[in-house]
Amino acid sequence: MVKKMLLFFFLVIRFYASPYENNCLSCHQKLPVSIDKFFYRYLLKYSSKTRVQEQMFLYLSEPRKDKTIMPKAFISRFGIKKASSLKKEELEQALDSYWNKYKVFGKIK
Amino acid sequence: MLKNLGIDLHQSEKKTLFSFLSLYTFLCVLIICFVSFLYFTFQKNLMLQNKRQVLQAYSKDFILRLKDLHINFDKYKYYPRDEKFNSAIYDSDETLIFSTLKEKKVALKEVIYTNNTYIQFIEEPESYYLGAKYIIIEIKDEGFWLEKSKNEIMLFALISFVFLFFMGWFLLKLFLKPMRDSFTLLDNFIKDTTHELNTPLMAITSNIEMLKNYSLDEKILKKINRIEIAAKTVSNIYEDLSYITLNNNVISVNEAINITKLVQERVEYFMSLCSMKKIHIEVELEKNVFLNIDKKKISKVLDNLLSNAIKYNKPEGKIILLLKDSYFSIEDTGLGIKEEHLNLLFKRYSRFSDTVGGFGIGLNIVKLICEEYKINISVSSTLKVGTKMELEW
Repeated sequence: MVKKMLLFFFLVIRFYASPYENNCLSCHQKLPVSIDKFFYRYLLKYSSKTRVQEQMFLYLSEPRKDKTIMPKAFISRFGIKKASSLKKEELEQALDSYWNKYKVFGKIK
Repeated sequence: MLKNLGIDLHQSEKKTLFSFLSLYTFLCVLIICFVSFLYFTFQKNLMLQNKRQVLQAYSKDFILRLKDLHINFDKYKYYPRDEKFNSAIYDSDETLIFSTLKEKKVALKEVIYTNNTYIQFIEEPESYYLGAKYIIIEIKDEGFWLEKSKNEIMLFALISFVFLFFMGWFLLKLFLKPMRDSFTLLDNFIKDTTHELNTPLMAITSNIEMLKNYSLDEKILKKINRIEIAAKTVSNIYEDLSYITLNNNVISVNEAINITKLVQERVEYFMSLCSMKKIHIEVELEKNVFLNIDKKKISKVLDNLLSNAIKYNKPEGKIILLLKDSYFSIEDTGLGIKEEHLNLLFKRYSRFSDTVGGFGIGLNIVKLICEEYKINISVSSTLKVGTKMELEW
C-alpha cells in the first residue's frame, strides 16, 4: 500500500513538474557536462536575455551542427540532439525557467 | 564720447550709431564666445585622449577579471572591484547587470566623455563575459584641465575684447571723420553767415526806427512798415540760427524775470506783423508774474510761440494770451495741426505746412529751453479751428 502511495505521489509530481524539469533537466542530468555550462556559453556569445532565448529557441527547434555553440570535441562525443518535441509555448516556458535559474542579474555581489 | 570727437549728432543719428556699436559689440562677444568654445572643446578632447590610454589599460585588466568570474561563476560571485576606478556592465539590450559607478547615467553610444566630475570610458569586449556587452570604466576628473582652460579662456577673452574695443574705436573715428568734417564745415558756415547777417540787420531795424520819427507820407510809411516786418522776420530767423549754433552751449544767466512785462514787450514787438494780417490779440495777464530764467531764452520761447501763432493764423484771426502764476497759454485761430503730427511737432526740421516759410527749428528751440528749465509744454489742436500751446512751471 505504501509503495503504491509513493508511486502515486511520484507520478503526480512528475505530471505537475515544469517543461524545463521534465524535458530538459531530465536528459541533461545524464550528461557529464552540467546544464549551466550551456547557459554561460550562450551568455558569452549573445549577452542579453532576448538574444540568448531567441538563439536557444532556434537551436532547440532545429538543432544543426553549424548552429551549435558547443565545441567540436563535444559534438564529436555526444552528437547533435534531436529537435524538441515541445510546443512553442512550452519551449518558451522552459527557456524562461532556464534563464531565471542561471541568470546573473541579482546574483553578483 | 562723440563730443570728444568734436561731433554733436542729432538724436536719430546717435541712435543709428549706438545701434551699430551695439551690433559690433554683440558680434565681438559672439566671435569671442565661439573661439572660446572651440578652444574649450579642443582642450577637453586633448585631456580625454590622454586619459583614454589609462582607461584602456584599466578596462583590459577588468575584462580579465570578469572572464575569471564568468568561468567560475558557480564557485564565487564577487564582482571585480578596484580602488583606482569604478565600473559597470550592461548587456546588449543596454540593461544594467552590475554597477559600482558614482555617476549612474551613462552614454553607451559614446567612447569616452565627461560626466559631471567623472570621466567614463566605454569598452565593448569581444566576448560577453557574464553577458556584458558594454563595460564602463569610470575615474574621477580632477578638473586641472578645466581650471587651466578657464584661466586661458578668460585671459584670451579679455585680451580679445580690449583689442576689438580699440579696433572698434579706431574704425569709428575713421568712419566718422567725413561726418565730423561736414558737421564742422556746416557749423562754421552757419556761424559765419549769422555773424555777417547781424550787422546789416541791426542797421536796417535801427534806421527804420529813426525813419518813423519823421512825418512821412502814409504810402511811404506803409512801405517802411513792410520793410520793418520783413526785417523782424529775418531777425527772428537769425536769432534761431544763432541759438542753435552758438547759444545752445552757452551757460544760462538766470535772474528773476518779470514775465508779465516781457510778454507785453514781445506782443508790442510783433504788433506790426499782426496788423499786416489784421490779427487781433487778446491779452489777459496777471500782474507781476516772475520766473527765474535766462532772459534771452524766455524771450526766444515767447517770440517763437508768438511768431508761429501769427504765421499759421488765418487773416483777421485772433490770438489769445493768458498768463497766470506758473501758467502761460497762447491760442490761435489758425490752420490747426493733425493729430498724428503732434508728436513730431518739437522735432528739429519738422514742418507740416508749405503755405508759410520756415526751417522747422523754432519749436525745437522752445522744447530745448523748456526742458532745461523743467517747464512742462503741451499742445492741443483742432484742424481748421486752431492750436493752443500751454506752459506750466
